[in-house]
Amino acid sequence: MMTIKVFDPALCCSTGVCGVDTDQALVTFAADVDWAKKNGAQIERFNLAQQPMAFADNATVKGFLERSGQEALPLILVDGDIALAGRYPDRTELARWAGVKEPVEAAQGSCCGGSPCC
Amino acid sequence: MKFLESAPRFLFFTGKGGVGKTSIACATAIQLAEAGRRVLLVSTDPASNVGQVLGIEIGNKITAVPAVPRLIALEIDAEAAAQAYRDRIVGPVRGKLPDAVVKGIEEQLSGACTTEIAAFDEFTALLTDAEITLAYDHVVFDTAPTGHTIRLLQLPVAWSGFLEAGKGDASCLGPLAGLEKQRAQYNAAVQALADGQRTRLILVARAQNSALREAARTHGELAAIGLTRQFLIVNGLLPKEEAAVDPLAAAIYAREQAALAAMPNVLRALPRDDVPLKPFNLVGLDALRQLLAETTPQLETAGWEPVDLRAPSLSDLVDDIAVEGHGLVMLMGKGGVGKTTLAAAVAVELARRGLPVHLTTSDPAAHLAETLHGSMAHLTVSRIDPHAETERYRQEVLKTKGAHLDTQGRALLEEDLRSPCTEEIAVFQAFSRIIREAGEKFVVMDTAPTGHTLLLLDATGAYHREVARMLDAKGAHYTTPMMQLQDSKRTKVLLVTLAETTPVLEAANLQADLRRAGIEPWAWVINNSVAAARPHAPLLRKRAQNELAEVEKVATAHARRYAVVPLLQEEPVGVDRLLKLAAPITEPA
Repeated sequence: MMTIKVFDPALCCSTGVCGVDTDQALVTFAADVDWAKKNGAQIERFNLAQQPMAFADNATVKGFLERSGQEALPLILVDGDIALAGRYPDRTELARWAGVKEPVEAAQGSCCGGSPCC
Repeated sequence: MKFLESAPRFLFFTGKGGVGKTSIACATAIQLAEAGRRVLLVSTDPASNVGQVLGIEIGNKITAVPAVPRLIALEIDAEAAAQAYRDRIVGPVRGKLPDAVVKGIEEQLSGACTTEIAAFDEFTALLTDAEITLAYDHVVFDTAPTGHTIRLLQLPVAWSGFLEAGKGDASCLGPLAGLEKQRAQYNAAVQALADGQRTRLILVARAQNSALREAARTHGELAAIGLTRQFLIVNGLLPKEEAAVDPLAAAIYAREQAALAAMPNVLRALPRDDVPLKPFNLVGLDALRQLLAETTPQLETAGWEPVDLRAPSLSDLVDDIAVEGHGLVMLMGKGGVGKTTLAAAVAVELARRGLPVHLTTSDPAAHLAETLHGSMAHLTVSRIDPHAETERYRQEVLKTKGAHLDTQGRALLEEDLRSPCTEEIAVFQAFSRIIREAGEKFVVMDTAPTGHTLLLLDATGAYHREVARMLDAKGAHYTTPMMQLQDSKRTKVLLVTLAETTPVLEAANLQADLRRAGIEPWAWVINNSVAAARPHAPLLRKRAQNELAEVEKVATAHARRYAVVPLLQEEPVGVDRLLKLAAPITEPA
């Protein structure tokens, strides 16, 4: 099983609804992480404002911050290697990295993630 | 006093700034200690003046009060606790991460939430750590935890998920991330708070409609999370004898009695004690010993000189505001200082001069909107309901951003939307729509976003920076609401306070927050000044004299310009009475 580490920018919360303009990508990603974990994925998120040591202690992340600045976050490491930067992965990418099988009915773009609309 | 009968181990006093909870907490602690109990008196108020009231130096350590055997005091310095928390987080990475990154982290951790939770962290230790409190029969707190703090600690999904994982990827716990050390301690603290055998909560209020409404709100918030064992103290009631002496005193007496008669039902059901206004300053042990005495000492009718306060009036400020012909005027300050009334007074005074004015209010009672609407040329009034705006914001986010989420994902989002930040953001968005009008007329607002919200807007800067980046790219001219607020030509922020120690300190803290967000308050307004009303009744004269030092502090240490608004005989409702608020300070007829 691959380990996924997500290095978030300085957020007040993982969905970002405390901010002035809720970021769709954050809302979606928070739900996707929750889903992937329930399916056995190993994902850790680190918030720059709350766990900066996690950023400083990781040579890859530290180097990335020095080169590109905090504006270039988030940064996603899969088993220690940079897999993605500057945007959040979608559910399919998460599932692929984690080796989790994505059930068809919960797939991205489906209208009915458990809702009664279909 | 009912609230002292078979007092439990923990006593909490809560109420907004300036109601006198510190004096009452100190008086309670003294009374219990003199009855033979061992008492620890704790303040968690960032603007604590327990030391000042007791006449000793206390600070962030356990200190015996020399003149009262068995009484020990402690001031928890929330700001220092928050700073220590920030240092704990940021210290180890300083020099390791780029400076800009470190600065960004510090700004993110400078919100009111961090301070509040750091303080809560300190006093949960006192509620649960047997070693510290075992030596005492009673622990008296002069500030209660807010419903918001306790709710944060109780958020079921977020909290357990967060701690079990041992990671920071849970819900909107924000500053709790660095305080994960003691889940058991928080649980035990919340349990101790909810246990009526161990804990008594005392709401302190004044006999004013707004203060009593706020007490009712606090009552509901704390009862909803299990803190049902509550008492009410109505502090500072003007004695009936005073009412005979002058018309102002008579009017205050009548107003207070009417407010008590109209008290919300939830408060009426609580055991209640009335504490009369005392003819002495509540500083020092002798004064405090008499505060809760059942018999009032005889009033001396002579000996207090009339005061001669000379200060600028609201009308003087409006002269300067009017020059521009249009612009945004925001009144900021803590709850209960009279922002709504003063916003209306500024609006009415501008309209009287023939200038176009839009007054927008979030006053829940909305009687200003009703009284003023259509009753004056050049003035329009609109109303924003914070609860409706918040609900609309939540539904909007759920409907748009949460549209494609599954049940679990929606639950997570809904929980985050319960964050206390959402109300401020929702109200700010509603105001942003109105702000644009300020280019051609005056827009006067009574509820502005607090410094904390503005900081959030500026620090996380999502909106402001996004707009700037997009429009910069197009080479367009633009103004974001934040830029408008920072521009003193377009926006004038009036900080409202009362001429009392705690409200002045709170306003000064708000000013510091605003400055960090790049906003310089334009003026201070001291509301409900007894000194400016020039009373004859002895008790009121005494209070007027106590105000002078606070007015002086505002004038010399805090404000660039200021005005003083007198306490009026009548409730300032309606155009004619509002105009009187702006009038120069003179001897009453």
